[in-house]
Amino acid sequence: MNKRPVSHPILMFLILIAHSAMLLLVILTLGFSAEAVKLTCAVLAADFVGSMILSLVHRQACTVDMVLLLVLGMSTIYQSCFGGVHFAAKHYIFGILAFIACQLSYLLVRNPIRAEKMKPFWYGAFFVLVGAIFFLTGERGIWIDLGFITIQPSEFVKPVFVLICASSISTQLRKKTFLGIHYVPDNLAMLGCTAVIVVLQWWCRDLGSLPTFLAVAGFGIVFRFFYLREKMSLRFVIFLCACACVVCVVALKFAPDYVQDRLHSDIWADMEGHGYQQCHALTAIAEGGWFGKGAGGGLLHRVFASDTDIVFSSICEEWGLFSGILTVVLVLFLPASVLTVPPRSYYHAGLAAGVASVFVVQMALNIFGSCNIIPFTGVTIPFISQGGSSMLSSGILAGFLKAAQAPVLTTKDGRKKAAERGKQSA
Amino acid sequence: MKQQQNKPKTMPIDIRAPRSTLRAGRAVTLLILCFLLGMGYLSYVLITESPMYMAKSGKTTYGVVYDRTGDVLFDGTKPLTDYPSGQFADVGNFIGDTSGQMTNTLVAKNLTALANYSFTAGIHGTASLQTTLSHSANQAAYKALGSKNGTIIACNWKTGELLVCVSKPCVDIAKGYADIASMPNGSLLCKAFYPMVPGSTQKVSTLIAAYETLGVKTVNDIEYSCEGSWLNANGQRIKCHRSEGHGHQTLAEAFANSCNPFFAQLVQSEQLPLTSIIEVYQRMGYSVNKSAAENYSLDGISIAPASTVLTDDTDFDTQWGCLGQGETLVSPYQLMLWQTAVANGTGTAILPYAVEACTSAEGKMVQVGKTTRTPQLFSVSAAKAVQEVMIANAENHYYVSLPDYNCGVKSGTAQVTDNGREYENSLLVGFCLDETCPVAFCILIEERTSKDISTAQVAKALLNALSAAE
Amino acid sequence: MTEFFQNGQNLGELLSVFIVVFVDFCALMILLAAGRERKRGDEIWAKEAKGYMLSEHGTIYPLGAAEIIIGRHPSADIRFSDKEISRFHAILTLSDGRWHIEDLGSGSGTYVNGVRIKTPRTLHRDDEIRIGRRSLRVIKGNGKVVSQ
Repeated sequence: MNKRPVSHPILMFLILIAHSAMLLLVILTLGFSAEAVKLTCAVLAADFVGSMILSLVHRQACTVDMVLLLVLGMSTIYQSCFGGVHFAAKHYIFGILAFIACQLSYLLVRNPIRAEKMKPFWYGAFFVLVGAIFFLTGERGIWIDLGFITIQPSEFVKPVFVLICASSISTQLRKKTFLGIHYVPDNLAMLGCTAVIVVLQWWCRDLGSLPTFLAVAGFGIVFRFFYLREKMSLRFVIFLCACACVVCVVALKFAPDYVQDRLHSDIWADMEGHGYQQCHALTAIAEGGWFGKGAGGGLLHRVFASDTDIVFSSICEEWGLFSGILTVVLVLFLPASVLTVPPRSYYHAGLAAGVASVFVVQMALNIFGSCNIIPFTGVTIPFISQGGSSMLSSGILAGFLKAAQAPVLTTKDGRKKAAERGKQSA
Repeated sequence: MKQQQNKPKTMPIDIRAPRSTLRAGRAVTLLILCFLLGMGYLSYVLITESPMYMAKSGKTTYGVVYDRTGDVLFDGTKPLTDYPSGQFADVGNFIGDTSGQMTNTLVAKNLTALANYSFTAGIHGTASLQTTLSHSANQAAYKALGSKNGTIIACNWKTGELLVCVSKPCVDIAKGYADIASMPNGSLLCKAFYPMVPGSTQKVSTLIAAYETLGVKTVNDIEYSCEGSWLNANGQRIKCHRSEGHGHQTLAEAFANSCNPFFAQLVQSEQLPLTSIIEVYQRMGYSVNKSAAENYSLDGISIAPASTVLTDDTDFDTQWGCLGQGETLVSPYQLMLWQTAVANGTGTAILPYAVEACTSAEGKMVQVGKTTRTPQLFSVSAAKAVQEVMIANAENHYYVSLPDYNCGVKSGTAQVTDNGREYENSLLVGFCLDETCPVAFCILIEERTSKDISTAQVAKALLNALSAAE
Repeated sequence: MTEFFQNGQNLGELLSVFIVVFVDFCALMILLAAGRERKRGDEIWAKEAKGYMLSEHGTIYPLGAAEIIIGRHPSADIRFSDKEISRFHAILTLSDGRWHIEDLGSGSGTYVNGVRIKTPRTLHRDDEIRIGRRSLRVIKGNGKVVSQ
């Protein structure tokens, strides 16, 4: 029991070396400068402090933390080098905050029973955020401008929505009857929230993140209505896929004009108009080749949203397609961690599936969208794209994954009681 | 009792996770697999399409276009002024260049293949296109036009190799576009690909329609007389170019004479209903009365389909439409295409191609040119009959000008009204059956007067040059 | 020196290859660590669940999650196809280090140590759960942890 994961310090050491190698490349290609030194110190210090804290605090579920440290350091280096070295302080700070948010959200939901009991609170948070989007964002937008900082509340809806969509088996078995119809109140609430989200996204014309929410809701529905009741036969999976396809087709058919435009336009015929970003993004990848132009050598930073919506291309341009794919795969390691340590409760399993769908769908929308395989939408890659709100909410989601791997089912009270029982029996 | 039983044995703690929670893992696996599949597809698309991205955004250099003997038709690797003056003067508006001034040219439509770029090596090496053109024949044809403007297009009717494609006036891509304002009209496009008034060369199509509908024997037995002009059922007068008339003629004679009253009578005759003419025309690729027609393309160069308006076979305009005036417009490319179907005697045309092979910047050569046939445009018997009539025409009327070749031809004169200015274009379509020179061609000389060089003389120069090049 | 490296493009490429390979290696190590972590996670779970299992005549039914459904339904975690057993018959839940059993409104009822339960009941070692004709004993493992 007191064995600590042996590889922990070794892992930290490897991550440090990986970051150092990247920083060395940056310094070798761009030369010594105050910014480069700042970047180097910042990344290495974060690694060091992060590993110290981790080795002191948690001894479990290090996979998520390690991957997070590795990815955050890499993304800080990427973000700092677009078009020349300039320390991306905002990205760095939000990276640290995301890391902290991950630990905090882990502490919050590591007990699946308690996390589910807090559901009324999640519903409350959901409606507060929805209200914020509805009333505080100007002109049907998605941003709240606080003067010194802009917040995107819809990003924070994601973790809350994941918490709402996951459910334990006990909750599913707690049925009520109304007019002879059996129903589960929790399911109704979830469907209601989904409807609210759909309407809200339609209202503020932010259809880009709608697929993310729908994917989470889809997993929620599959986990509640079908998994628990039916054996998943292949035929049923095919049926579900067919349903998803029909939904997609119908959604596209009734999508607003500006979405239709994006679907049917040839970006190369409109290189200076609608296709501007995508054309430059694709050309940048082509210019980068396998190994890139070198850190700071790219030109894509001149294009709008080069560090958010088309960040994959920016990375590919400077660091090469290899690095781009590698980074994406590393981010995938986070949801994939569920495969190594299986969740021990149905609520955590639902959380893990929800988080995985958020991460994967966001990455798919961003990368395939910017590369003209699907319509281009303005979503972010978790942990890689610039953007405080997205960074924090991704951190919170990563905390859920951590919780799924290291659940704690004993509360403080329980421990006390157990101790008392032990005393009594003694 | 129980404790005694249990104590000595160690019972392993089985904590296998139940199916319900393992399902999360399965769902995540499915998601990640789908995403990774997508990434794989994306990488494939990026790697294969990256030359296109570079070409479209103009961030790469381009390679060389060669003719069939290795002569350079375009070179993106060094200034074109390094070449002898006039090197690119004859095919400039067909081959084109990377300046973006001309969009419907071989280079503009094949920029991706010509990009000196590969995903692995970046901008490195030299890509090239090996074309089937014969530069010497192009230069000879261009020279043969002399002071006249016009277009000459010729291909091998056996293989579909495009041999000559000249359109005059032509921009000299080596000289650039500084004096674009003073360039003569039409310098920047290859006329062979744009529809124009076909004149009497249209009678080939009308004859094919007659053969298709009535059969070869019936048509060959048809006789009408011409007194210089003819009143149709609507009381409109169709004039013959020979005011004293041709008298009583057989079909072959009328075809050779290019007698308008004869063909007008054929169109109006009840034996040959307009619907069947329209049906054959449409099968041949005409857009009749705005019906849909196939858009041909030559290595990406788009060619507008032939079109005509035929409403009533007793009407003046419809009759003239079948005689090559009226609303009828055909591109020289398509006139030549039909000649391939006549020359091979099968009624299926051979689609011309100009790019034989592409060599990528990495040096990998891909054969792209291949002989492709169109669907049956008209029947074998019609093809053979038209071939006979055209050969007879050449033997009887063009023996002097084309003595050395076993040819079939049809001439035409097109009355053109351009911005209120009226002039006549001279056309000649035909084919050569000689083994050494299996060529189908279309020649157009603009604003030709009787003093100028004849289309037959140009044809002779063309065939001579092609035979010499073989 | 900087200039030298700027000119030597090949070296930069070499270094970026090295980075890619190294980060890959890093990822591999993390995966390996995750494998080790799994063992540790299993041990922790075994402790949380007190090593409890259900046994019926030597057949072991593991309690590998915080909620275990006993029933006739295909998606039940412990499945019996007996007719007397309801589709969702009873549920075992773990909280605060104690296992509880709750009847899910089954037809034939759930008995613990011969007493039909109406409300959730805490399970102890060697308790006997009777469901239909089945009799399941709560046992506690003390050997090594098996998770696969």
